[in-house]
Amino acid sequence: MSTSEQVIIGKLNTDAASTYVNILAGNLRTLVTLSRQWNALQAGRFSLSLGIVPLTLYYGSLHYLWNGNSTFAAITAIVAANIVLIAYIILSILEDKQSPQSPSRIYAKALESKKAR
Amino acid sequence: MSVCPPYAPFFGFAGVASAMVLSTIGAAFGTAKAGIGIAGLGTFKPELIMKSLIPVVMSGIIAVYGLVVSVLISGALTPEGYPLFAGFIHLGAGLACGLTGLTAGYAIGIVGDACVRAYVQESKVFVSMVLILIFAEVLGLYGLIVALIMNSKVAGGVADVCYS
Repeated sequence: MSTSEQVIIGKLNTDAASTYVNILAGNLRTLVTLSRQWNALQAGRFSLSLGIVPLTLYYGSLHYLWNGNSTFAAITAIVAANIVLIAYIILSILEDKQSPQSPSRIYAKALESKKAR
Repeated sequence: MSVCPPYAPFFGFAGVASAMVLSTIGAAFGTAKAGIGIAGLGTFKPELIMKSLIPVVMSGIIAVYGLVVSVLISGALTPEGYPLFAGFIHLGAGLACGLTGLTAGYAIGIVGDACVRAYVQESKVFVSMVLILIFAEVLGLYGLIVALIMNSKVAGGVADVCYS
């Protein structure tokens, strides 16, 4: 293979690689938008459970657990609300640990490598 | 001077309303102030948003404290056989829970705003933010405990003191 053909093939490879990085960056952008919507869904689910869980536990434990002793039913509801809070804190810490390279960082790295080319 | 006047439920319902309203004012201030910081953080590092929503969830817990106390007190209100003693106790319980919830929400808002803005630059701030927020939240918890202790004095039903 002559050198000019090698140069042309090398240039075609670079073009294909840069197009591939562009497509990858576009996919990652979609993924980041979707993950942000998923986070909004999680936050909405937690605020709903924060409203529903203590009330249902109050009335449920008032009738079925404590036989009308309202103080213990209130304590049960408050303990449940605090458990929801602790679950949210643990979930947010775990989610942060699970993604050592978060999507936006991968996108930034792809952009950097594209610029260096 | 009757022990169970007809205007006694006024104080009881005032306690119910103050528990819910005042703690919600604190929770709203906490959510708003922390939300300003989270919006600022979101423009720089959007991947930290889930962890920085913790002040907002804690403000919600303050409102839940007020909700539980108001539900607890309103379950004991009756038109007949409601002594003025029970009315004053319910008013005191509602005010104790509501005003401490107001202070706790205020503290959570200011601390959440400042710590979330610092979390953008230094990730070790997270542990101290959670610790300070927990200390701010137990202020509301103390008010809830006092409200529960006060309410337990009349929780057994004191209607028979009206007819003695």
